[in-house]
Amino acid sequence: MTFLDMRGVNYSYPGYLNVVDQVDWEIARGEVHSLVGRSGCGKTTLLKLAAGLVRPDTGAISVDGQALLRPGSQLGFVFQSPTLLEWKRVLDNVLLPITLQRRPVPADRARAEELLALMGLSDFSERFPTELSGGQQSRVAIARALLLAPSLLLLDEPFASLDAITREELQDDLLKICRLAQTTVFFVTHDISEAVYLADRVAVMAQGRITHEVPVDLPRPRARELRYAAPFNALCARVRHAMDGAGP
Amino acid sequence: MTGHSVIMRLAGWALFVALLLGWELLCRTSGLSALVLPAPSVIGQSLWTGLWTGYFWPHLLHTGSVLVLGLAIGSAAGFLGGIVMGESAVLRRLLFPYVVTSQVVPKLALAPLFIVWFGFGMTSTVVITALICFFPLMENTLTSLQQVDPRKQELFRMLGATRLQTLLRLKIPSGLPVIMAGFRVAVVLALVGAVVGEFIGGSKGLGALIIASQGMMDTPLMFAVLLLITVLGLLVYQFAIGLERLLLWPHLKNSEKE
Repeated sequence: MTFLDMRGVNYSYPGYLNVVDQVDWEIARGEVHSLVGRSGCGKTTLLKLAAGLVRPDTGAISVDGQALLRPGSQLGFVFQSPTLLEWKRVLDNVLLPITLQRRPVPADRARAEELLALMGLSDFSERFPTELSGGQQSRVAIARALLLAPSLLLLDEPFASLDAITREELQDDLLKICRLAQTTVFFVTHDISEAVYLADRVAVMAQGRITHEVPVDLPRPRARELRYAAPFNALCARVRHAMDGAGP
Repeated sequence: MTGHSVIMRLAGWALFVALLLGWELLCRTSGLSALVLPAPSVIGQSLWTGLWTGYFWPHLLHTGSVLVLGLAIGSAAGFLGGIVMGESAVLRRLLFPYVVTSQVVPKLALAPLFIVWFGFGMTSTVVITALICFFPLMENTLTSLQQVDPRKQELFRMLGATRLQTLLRLKIPSGLPVIMAGFRVAVVLALVGAVVGEFIGGSKGLGALIIASQGMMDTPLMFAVLLLITVLGLLVYQFAIGLERLLLWPHLKNSEKE
């Protein structure tokens, strides 16, 4: 059952032709897909198209069978940087998607507290974002994206600026939470092992096109030891070859 | 650390007392006329008499009211103007040349014109003060609205925020440090506007009092009034700092720890 469906999608910025060029991609409900590619290959633009932040020039995008016209509450988006509001406490930052629609009720607060607890941030809900480390800020941004229980979560290199160990912890947390909620995930990254570890399927993008598609048939739930096993490394090598083959 | 700061504070006071004593001594020994440079003791006496007899109070109240009214009107107008121009690209392009031109015109040079328009008295000085406060607020508000992190704006779009919500919950709060910096500049300029406005168009107020003391060749009185203006300025400036602390404390959270 296809959940996110992109067909013949094209997008150009003024002065930059075919940033996204004739892309077809499908993600089934509950699956996790990664999108890898070199900087400037159009990954972020493709993700923004999937979010409805920009409209495709030609082609069609649908989410859960509905044509996507604008961003909505069924979509969660995590940006490259945490983009937290420095003047609001952590809890209020997580509650932002609700406070923009209506006054939060105690149940909303409970939900936000629960997400912060899942992220290991229970003790920080009354702090300000500037008092948190980079990894903690990323966790807050993920909790915020999950607040409305989106059925599709889009992430744009959310862990790029974190150290390796924090990044691995966050990857495990993300997989755990999305598995619990049956969330469909589209994860943009330039880190090959991150792409393989998270995904059921890896898309390799170059110059606006998806050039290769690598299915990841590793068992779930994934665990740390997996990273050092032969099948994992073989898949990473395959993705790497695909990226090289696609390079200029 | 604390011992060091106590010593610094003592040194500060000692310097102040030494300066005053030196000034007093200079006036008593050099035979300099009190018309040119009155001794601190003479100024103190003049200040005391003025305060005690109630001579200063109506003037102080007048300048204070001009200052507060002008600051409030000018800042509010500048803030709103900045928002309007920050939000509408069309208005910004249309009005910006006029804004720049009118900013270049020295506002105090317009005082005689305002006297023609609004007459001698409080209205002209309030208008001058307001006009002077308008620009720092408008310019800083406009700048701050245009410096909002585009990713945060994208986040608000993603969350389906309306334009008004984006303005009230994102742009103004994130621009507040820059806006408050403009307000601090406005506060200092407002005092200049009020006093100089009274030089030209007033029969009341501390500025008018300075002109009057010049006419009466009463230099100690002039110094006493200058002292009052300084105290008034410090008070308003402290108020601005306090307001800034109050509004910006989440923003300042980080720097406090460092």
